[in-house]
Amino acid sequence: MMRLAHATACVCLLGTATMAVSQAQAQASASEWASYRDAYRAVVVFEKYGGAKNLLQNHLQLVPREKGALGEGLQLVLSGKTVQTSLALDALGRGVLPLVKAAYDENAVLAPNHRIGPFSLRSRVTIAPQADNIYDTAELRAACEQALGFARYVDAGARARQCVGVRLVFPRKGVESSVKLRRLDGEQALPMTQGAAFGGDADADFPVVNYRFGADKAQVVTYSAPLAIVPLFE
Amino acid sequence: MKKLFALVLAVSGSAASAQTPTTNPMPDGSRDMYAGLGVVSAPRYEGADRRKTSALPVLQVQWSNGIFVSGMSAGMHLSNSPTVEYGPLLAIHPRRTESGFGGRVGGVEGSTLAPSTVRTYDSRNPLAGMEEIKARPEAGAFFNYYLAPEWRLTSSVLAGAGNDRNGVRGEFGIQRLALQLGAHHTVSVTAAVSFVNRAYQQNYFGVTPAQAMASGNRVYHPDGGVKDVRIGARWNWALSPSWMLTSSLQATRLAGDAKDSPLVQRPTNLTVSTAFAYRF
Repeated sequence: MMRLAHATACVCLLGTATMAVSQAQAQASASEWASYRDAYRAVVVFEKYGGAKNLLQNHLQLVPREKGALGEGLQLVLSGKTVQTSLALDALGRGVLPLVKAAYDENAVLAPNHRIGPFSLRSRVTIAPQADNIYDTAELRAACEQALGFARYVDAGARARQCVGVRLVFPRKGVESSVKLRRLDGEQALPMTQGAAFGGDADADFPVVNYRFGADKAQVVTYSAPLAIVPLFE
Repeated sequence: MKKLFALVLAVSGSAASAQTPTTNPMPDGSRDMYAGLGVVSAPRYEGADRRKTSALPVLQVQWSNGIFVSGMSAGMHLSNSPTVEYGPLLAIHPRRTESGFGGRVGGVEGSTLAPSTVRTYDSRNPLAGMEEIKARPEAGAFFNYYLAPEWRLTSSVLAGAGNDRNGVRGEFGIQRLALQLGAHHTVSVTAAVSFVNRAYQQNYFGVTPAQAMASGNRVYHPDGGVKDVRIGARWNWALSPSWMLTSSLQATRLAGDAKDSPLVQRPTNLTVSTAFAYRF
């Protein structure tokens, strides 16, 4: 009886392994992919967060491992048994993940619409842009504090951190991307550098302006809409 | 076939004996489930010199209301905070027969089901002649705290093990969750120390005078305290959105009075497992 049980177990195991490998090859060879459930899990925490967040926005970011993989026309395709839709991505690879119960229940898949190599998905909280491109520094500080509140909610390690400023990230080309700090005594251009929008991004050649909060009351004025306004903690 | 279900394993980052998967927010009315089959090579019982290899069913289910089943344990997440997890925990402590945990798989030793008054001692098996310890449901609680999203301190306490149902075991551990090794490859690492009360220790590592007569082991009355320390790693390879290969390596070293038990032949032991799991 024991040997029969062992043999049965071995047959079951071999059957399982064969089925797993053949199905995995069929699915995985098509393209790189990510689990909708894992993406949902990353994003929904912000949606359920009960703290102040009216000055913030949350995106799902596709983070390729290779530099330069994010290009125009890149989309994230959500595919399930009954759910099929595409998420438009901005130049930073960010899009809004629809929270759909059917997609979760069907264990739907997220995949880029063309090959970009290995990638990961991350939840990114940034400061919502203003339509007039004018930001009171007090508002920016308040938004940064909201983002820090959320960071502390999800990460006990963030409790010792403080808001120190914001990073304004602009498209690589096609728009004027100067930023000025407007005070009562005049305007001052803020230095533009090249850098990554978020820590861990492969692409580090975006025009960025890092503004550190000061004591003065002022306005940050951008002459085009930034791609993202990233809160900075230290 | 009963043997097939004597050992089950969680596919989460947790490798703890009382496994608590991480909080998994999902739409109301949904669930996230892994089920599969693999193999495990483990010592026949805690402290055994000999090993056995057996089939390993894999099961982990989480529901949107917080209830989870993970290997041999089940519980409920009651916390709404992403940095704290706590709730009630239930588990099944496997039985231990003369041939080890969960009964025999290979069928190479004498019957453990029918009591016998005439015994031939197996000099290599200290459990020969020892009373069978029956499988017992255990009840308790867990509390986990996230130092950072990838670092989790874990703790649990369970009561009800042993023939008199008075064994209590607890565990403190630290886990590094979801270390990304490459696309679709993650590794979780765990270190933990477990504590037990005197009754647990006596059940699983002690020898009463009657048991000494029957088994030939010396009489041994251990005290409660630290039972073992362990380190482990779990490697999850997501082969596709639905299939995962989950493998685990765990080293356990018995400590305190458990280590000095006459039933213990090898205080340090390895458990290795690998299994395919399907995500439903």
